[in-house]
Amino acid sequence: MSYAVETRDLTRVFAGKKHRFRRKRTADEADEHLGPVTALDGVSIQIREGELFGMLGPNGAGKTTLIKILATLLLPTSGQAFVAGHDVAKDPFPIRQRINMVSGGETSGYGLLTARENVWMFSQFYGVPSRVSKARIDELMHVFGLWDKRDAKVRMLSTGQRQKMNMIRGFVTDPDILFLDEPTLGLDVNAARIIREYVLNWVRSQKGKTVLLTTHYMAEADQMCDRIAIIDKGKILACDTPEALKRMIRTETTFRLEVDAIRDTASFSSMQGVKNFSLTNDIGTNRSHLTFILEDEGPVAEILSLITSQGKKVHSLQKSEPTLEDVFISMVGRGFE
Amino acid sequence: MSAAPARRTDLRYRLGLNARAVVGRSYPRIIGANREPSWIVFEAFLPLLGIASYVFIYQAFGTRTIAAIVANDSLTQAEREAAIAGAHLWVNALVATVVLGGTMVAFWLNVLWSMASQLYWEKEIGNLQLYMMAPMNRMALLGGMAVGGMFMTSVRALSTLAAGVIVFGVVFQVADPLSLLAVFFVTLIALYGMGMMFASLYLLWGREAWNLSALMEEPIFFSSGMYFPVGGLFKIPGWGPAVALAGSLVPATLGLDALRQLTLGPASQAAILPLAPVSTELLILCVLAVGFLVLARYALAYLEVLAKREGKLTSRHQ
Amino acid sequence: MNTYWRTFKVAAWLGWEMDSNWTEPWLFVIYSVVKPVAGAFILVLMYVVFVAIGRPQGDPAAFSYLYIGNSFFIFVASVLFGTFQVIQSDREWYQTIRYVYISPISYYVYIVGRAASKVAVSSFAVAITLLFGVFFLNVSIQLSWTAIPMFLAATALGLTVLLAIGICLGGISFLTAKHTHGLAEGIPGLFYVFCGVLFPLSVLPSWGRAIGQGIPLTYWFDITRRLLAPSLGVDTTLTGYDDLTILLLLLVSSIAFFALSILIFKTGEYFARKAGKIDMTTSY
Repeated sequence: MSYAVETRDLTRVFAGKKHRFRRKRTADEADEHLGPVTALDGVSIQIREGELFGMLGPNGAGKTTLIKILATLLLPTSGQAFVAGHDVAKDPFPIRQRINMVSGGETSGYGLLTARENVWMFSQFYGVPSRVSKARIDELMHVFGLWDKRDAKVRMLSTGQRQKMNMIRGFVTDPDILFLDEPTLGLDVNAARIIREYVLNWVRSQKGKTVLLTTHYMAEADQMCDRIAIIDKGKILACDTPEALKRMIRTETTFRLEVDAIRDTASFSSMQGVKNFSLTNDIGTNRSHLTFILEDEGPVAEILSLITSQGKKVHSLQKSEPTLEDVFISMVGRGFE
Repeated sequence: MSAAPARRTDLRYRLGLNARAVVGRSYPRIIGANREPSWIVFEAFLPLLGIASYVFIYQAFGTRTIAAIVANDSLTQAEREAAIAGAHLWVNALVATVVLGGTMVAFWLNVLWSMASQLYWEKEIGNLQLYMMAPMNRMALLGGMAVGGMFMTSVRALSTLAAGVIVFGVVFQVADPLSLLAVFFVTLIALYGMGMMFASLYLLWGREAWNLSALMEEPIFFSSGMYFPVGGLFKIPGWGPAVALAGSLVPATLGLDALRQLTLGPASQAAILPLAPVSTELLILCVLAVGFLVLARYALAYLEVLAKREGKLTSRHQ
Repeated sequence: MNTYWRTFKVAAWLGWEMDSNWTEPWLFVIYSVVKPVAGAFILVLMYVVFVAIGRPQGDPAAFSYLYIGNSFFIFVASVLFGTFQVIQSDREWYQTIRYVYISPISYYVYIVGRAASKVAVSSFAVAITLLFGVFFLNVSIQLSWTAIPMFLAATALGLTVLLAIGICLGGISFLTAKHTHGLAEGIPGLFYVFCGVLFPLSVLPSWGRAIGQGIPLTYWFDITRRLLAPSLGVDTTLTGYDDLTILLLLLVSSIAFFALSILIFKTGEYFARKAGKIDMTTSY
C-alpha cells in the first residue's frame, strides 16, 4: 500500500520564548507563557493516495503544526513523517516538487503585482514553464470566478478574492499532494462553496491527487472528506470515515435543548447516564444551547427538572442524529467554540 | 506504485527550475518599482544630498586651504600657483572618493536591506513559508532578489556618478577599462555573496535582523572607507590599521580602493593613499567572492535546518 | 487634554518597547552608541585624510565645527526617522495602523509619543559623541554657565522643529509606497547639505544659501555651535545676528513649522482616506 502521507509517532514541542527588557515574570506567569508547548503528541496517520483526508479539531489542536511539518517547513522533535514516500526531515526536495499548500487568511504575495502576476511568480519557483503557467492561471481564474480581477493589484482584492488567488496559486503548480489549512476561513458561503466544489472535483477526477484538509467547520469535513482524523491538544483521538465516526456514538443518544440562558452546569457532569455535554450561549436571544451525549434516554427527565428548578424555561428539546461535532463532544467533553 | 507521474530531477531540469526562480523573484522588484515611481525620488535623488554634503566638506577644506595659501606672503607667485594646483588636485581626488563611495554605498545598502534582511521581511508578510516549501534552490531566490534590486540600485549608482561628474565637476581618468570592469563586477559578486551569507543568518533572527542591518551602515561606511581613502586609517597609530584590515573583509573596501586607483590619474595616486596594487586587490576580491558564495551555500542549508528545528521559518513578529 | 496625555504615554511606551526589547540591555546601549559614533568617525577620518595629504598643519577650527554639527545631527536623523517611520511600519510591517487609526485618539499625538523614545536614546548618543570628541579628539567646547538656559531653550525648540518636520513627512508618507529607507537617508541628507551642519553655508552657491536660511534647523545648528564653542572663528553665514535674534527666529520658525506640520499631516490623511491608502501594503 503506498501512502501519500504517513506519520509515525510524530511529536513537535515548541521551546518557550525569551523576553527582554521586561519585568521579571512570576513563576505562574512563566509556566503559563514561557514554558515549552507540545503541539503534536505522538501523531500516527496514514493518508492513501487519491484520498481527501480531513483533520478536524479546534484552534490550537495542532493541525497547522502538522501541515507545516509535512510541507517541509518545520522539523519534528521526534517521530517520522513521510510525504510521497520521502522523509520530510531528510529528503525535502522530491517532496517539494510534489506538494503545495494554501492557508486560510493568508496574506502572501506582493501588493504592487496583479493577481495573475503573483500566481505566475510563485509558479516559477516550481519551474513551471511560463506558457503552461499562464494558460493554467487563466483557466483557474475562470473556474474560481476571478477572471474579472486578473489584472487588479493584489492590495485591491477583497479577502475572498485574495483567498481565491491563493487557491489558484496552490493548483497552478499541479501538485500531487495539496495541503489545505482552513482554506475557507472567513469566506462567504458562495466563495467557500466554489472552493469546496473545485477541491472535490480535483481529487475525484484525476488519479493520484491527494488532499489533506484541516478545518474546524464540521459540515465542511463531513461533506468533503473520505476519512477524518479528530485531533485535540496534539493527539489523534479518532480516525475513520465520517459515517464510521458517527456510528461510534450511535449507541449513544444525542439530545439538543434550547433553554433560557443558564450559568450553572456543574450538576450535569455528575449526573448518571450523561456521557458528555456542551453548552453555547446565544447573547442575542439570551438563550443557551445544550447538547447532551447520553448513554440512553434515562437522564432526560432529570435534566429537564434540573433546568426548570433553576427557574429557566425549556424552549425546545430534540433528539437528533449524531454529527461530527457530537463525536468530538463525546470524545473530549466540549464543543469547538 | 504511485499513480502520480514521476518528477524530473536531472541537472537540466534543476538549471531550468532555478533560472525560472531567479526571473520570478526579480520580477516584482522590477515591475513593482516601476509601478510606484515615487521610488525615483526616494532611492535615486534624495540619497544624492547626503553624498553632496560629504563633497562639500572636502570642498570647504579645500577653500580654506586655498585661502590660507593665498594669504601666505612667504610664497612666491610660482609656489603659490603650484600649491593651489596641488590643492585642486587633492580636492578632486577626495571628491571623486566620495562619489565612488556613494556608488558603492548604493550596492551595499541593497545587499543589506533588499537581500540580507529581506528574508525576515518576507516572513513578516507571509511569503517565506511559500518560498521555503518550493523546490527551487534558496540561492536562486536570493539571486532573484539581487537581480531585481540591481535595477533600482544601478539607477541610484549611475545618478551618483553622473552628479559627481556634472554637478561636482569630478574628473575621472580611466587608463585600463578592462581592469576597471573586472574589479567592479568581482566586487559586486563578492558583495552579493556576502549578502546571501547574511541572509541565512537572518532566517534565525527576528527583529535583530533589522537592527543588525542598521548597525552595518555607518560602522561599515567607516571601516570600509566609503567616503575617504581607506589608507587614511593607517595614519592613525594602533587601532587604525586593525580597523582597515577588519573592514577589508567587506569586499567594498578593497573594491573601492582598486576603483580609486583605476579611475584617478597617476598625479592623484598620492592623494588616495592606496592600500595595495590593483592586481593584489583583485586577487583577494576573487577569493572573497568564491569564499562568500560557497559559505552562503552551506550556511543557507545549515541555518534553514536550524530554523526549521526551532520553528522560526513561519512565525511572524518575533 | 487627558486623552492627549494618555495617548502620548502609551505611544511612548510602545515606541520604547519596539526600539529596545529586541535584544539584551547591554547590546541595546552599545547599538545606540556605535552607530552615531561610527558616523562621527567617518568625519574624523575625512579630516585625518585632509591633514595627511592637503594641509599638514591641520585646521582644528573647521574640525570642531563639523564635529559639533555632526553630533547634533544625530538628533535630526533619529528624530525624523522615529517620526515618519511610524506610519510606514504600522502600515506595512505590523499592519496595525487601521486599528490605531480608528481608535478615538489623536493620531498626531500618537506619532509624537512613538518618537519620544528616539529623542531619549539620541540625547544619550549626542552626549556620548560630544564627550568622546572633547576627551579624545581635542574638540573645543566651552559652554559657559550663563549660556546654559539659552542652550536648553534652543535644544527644545530644535527638537520641536524636528518633530514638526517628521510629522510633515509622515503626512506625505500616508500617500507613498514603502520608502522608509529612502526617506531615512534622503531627508536628513537635505538638512545635512543646506543647514550648515558640517561646513559653513558660504561653501554653497547663493541659491543653496537661500534654502539654508529658510530652514529653521540652520538657526538651531548655528546658535548651538555659538553657545558650545564661541571661539571657533569659522564663518557661520549668520554673522550679524546676535544670539537672541537667532533664538527668536528659531522660535518663530518652530511655530510656523508646527502649524505647517498639522496642515500637511491633515492633508495627507485626507487624501489617503480618499484614495483608500490608509492601510495599504506595497511590499515588493
